[in-house]
Amino acid sequence: MASDLRFREVEHTADRAFTVRGRDLAELFALAARALGTIQGQPADTRETISRQLEVSGVDRETLLVNWLNEILYLQDVHKESYSRFEVATIFDTSLRASLHGEPDASSRRTIKAVTFHGLKIERLPDGWEATIVVDV
Amino acid sequence: MGKPSPSRTIAKSDFKRISEQIWELPRDFREDMRAPARLYADDALLEAALTDNSVEQLVNTATLPGIVKYAIAMPDIHQGYGFPIGGVVATKLPDGIISPGGVGYDINCGVRLLASEALVEEISPFLSELASALYHNCPSGVGVHGEIKLQDTELDKVLVEGGSWARQRGLARNQDLERTEEFGAMPGADPEYVSHKARERGRGQIGTLGAGNHFIEVDCVAEVYDETAAERLGLLPGQAVVQIHCGSRGFGHQVCEDYVARFQKTVRDFGIELADRELVCAPFESQEGQQYFHAMACAANFAFANRQVLAHQIRRTFEQVLAGKVPAFDLHQVYDIAHNMAKIEEHEVGGRRMQLCVHRKGATRAFGPGSPGLPDDLRDLGQPVLIPGSMGTASYVLIGTRGSMEQTFGSTCHGAGRVWSRARARKMVRGEELRQELKSRGIAVRAGSMSGLAEEAPQAYKDVSRVVDVVERAGIGKKVARLEPVAVIKG
Repeated sequence: MASDLRFREVEHTADRAFTVRGRDLAELFALAARALGTIQGQPADTRETISRQLEVSGVDRETLLVNWLNEILYLQDVHKESYSRFEVATIFDTSLRASLHGEPDASSRRTIKAVTFHGLKIERLPDGWEATIVVDV
Repeated sequence: MGKPSPSRTIAKSDFKRISEQIWELPRDFREDMRAPARLYADDALLEAALTDNSVEQLVNTATLPGIVKYAIAMPDIHQGYGFPIGGVVATKLPDGIISPGGVGYDINCGVRLLASEALVEEISPFLSELASALYHNCPSGVGVHGEIKLQDTELDKVLVEGGSWARQRGLARNQDLERTEEFGAMPGADPEYVSHKARERGRGQIGTLGAGNHFIEVDCVAEVYDETAAERLGLLPGQAVVQIHCGSRGFGHQVCEDYVARFQKTVRDFGIELADRELVCAPFESQEGQQYFHAMACAANFAFANRQVLAHQIRRTFEQVLAGKVPAFDLHQVYDIAHNMAKIEEHEVGGRRMQLCVHRKGATRAFGPGSPGLPDDLRDLGQPVLIPGSMGTASYVLIGTRGSMEQTFGSTCHGAGRVWSRARARKMVRGEELRQELKSRGIAVRAGSMSGLAEEAPQAYKDVSRVVDVVERAGIGKKVARLEPVAVIKG
């Protein structure tokens, strides 16, 4: 697991999957969002000329994570932007408020179609939280 | 119905061999199965399927409420999310379920085959120019937009009319629609059940290819197995043909996302227990089930229109590159098939005709002779079936059979099927080396990303010829012709 980005890609035959760890749920969600960009080959740092405020909800913690990540894919797709910093300001089991920071990106560096629920579990570890996420490419 | 059992390793010895090509896990293999699971494979393909979680995913689909006969997997089965890729599940209406995860994010991902009047030997001096022009004229990449940006009123027409919308804009010929599954328009589409987000993602993406395993390929008809059928489809040895493989782009992805997220609550409301949350579903006749079906049909029609506009762009590109150089090069449509779809069809189950919701996730409809829904001029022949191989390898044209109607709800395989993960393919293969290797074999490649090219390396897939041989020997498809690639355009 890389020290600056606590996620690692795991084997999946047709699509892509990764495991991510955070010290708390806010960090887990933020690092999962960064992992999406890394998988798509987007720059790790951007000029941060754009900020977007988000409120996301879901019927439970797993749905919240999928909805959060899919919302980011939607925004990058529709607005042609890349984000490199994610701040999760408040998070509960079924809702969160967060901000995204990044820059315009007209390139076609978007390879993920959607984040799935397949095998998704958010698990509590002694020192934080872990989730394994499968994305459709 | 008991709770799903914890996952266990599935071995070849767990299967009962029904015939040379059919392997079955009986209903009592796992406590929560509602039907047996059947896999079409030879020994080697079964062993390949057991190397990832695809067979467990097949067993998970056998738990879906309303399932009839068997959960079925084709020989190109591989691990997906929720359903395995290569899966077929039919549920009995009105109570059986419809599952957005059983269709997937790329709703009506499919293949279109166009056949040229020109032979490959006639166009080969211009192949490099043709490949570059196709790459330029057919935009690729996940979020990429095309030349047509649709306002809401016109987008609604696309969603309801599909290929027919393209004909009204002069982008389709009558024969294109006749030679398209559902004649290019799925019934039941209602844009009211499509979100604003789906519209925003889709409105600029008509006429674009996408990424991943999507491609445009120029092929040569390398071998004809059934001369009569090939002649009826307008195929002859040495002919240049073009395959288009893509789907409903961001529009379909968003429709699936919307309903998979919404159905997380729906399954609780209906008390449906699932082995995997991606299998979320609702009774077909419920309000929720109907809303998804209306939205899915919109995405299916978006995909038909998308492949139609791409076909138009390909015809224009042939004109641009070959006019004045090759005497005749016009492209007629052989057929267009969907391989990610849920459809309402009538089939015989236990000696009775039943109305079913047939989910095909990485499986192709393969209706036999005399089936409803086929073009008049092909009804006695059976439905053309298009099976693209992996990049740089053969593809096949088949026709549907009576056997597919009897055994698999009129379905057959959809491609080669992956064996390597994308991560492994990137580790083992360098995109630029692969491009050079294909070039040395006379295949021109144009690709947006070298790592994307490496992920689609032929080594990452099963042998498509072996897959097609299994479905032919099992009687669920009949070979008509083999195609070999001469130019590949990838996102």
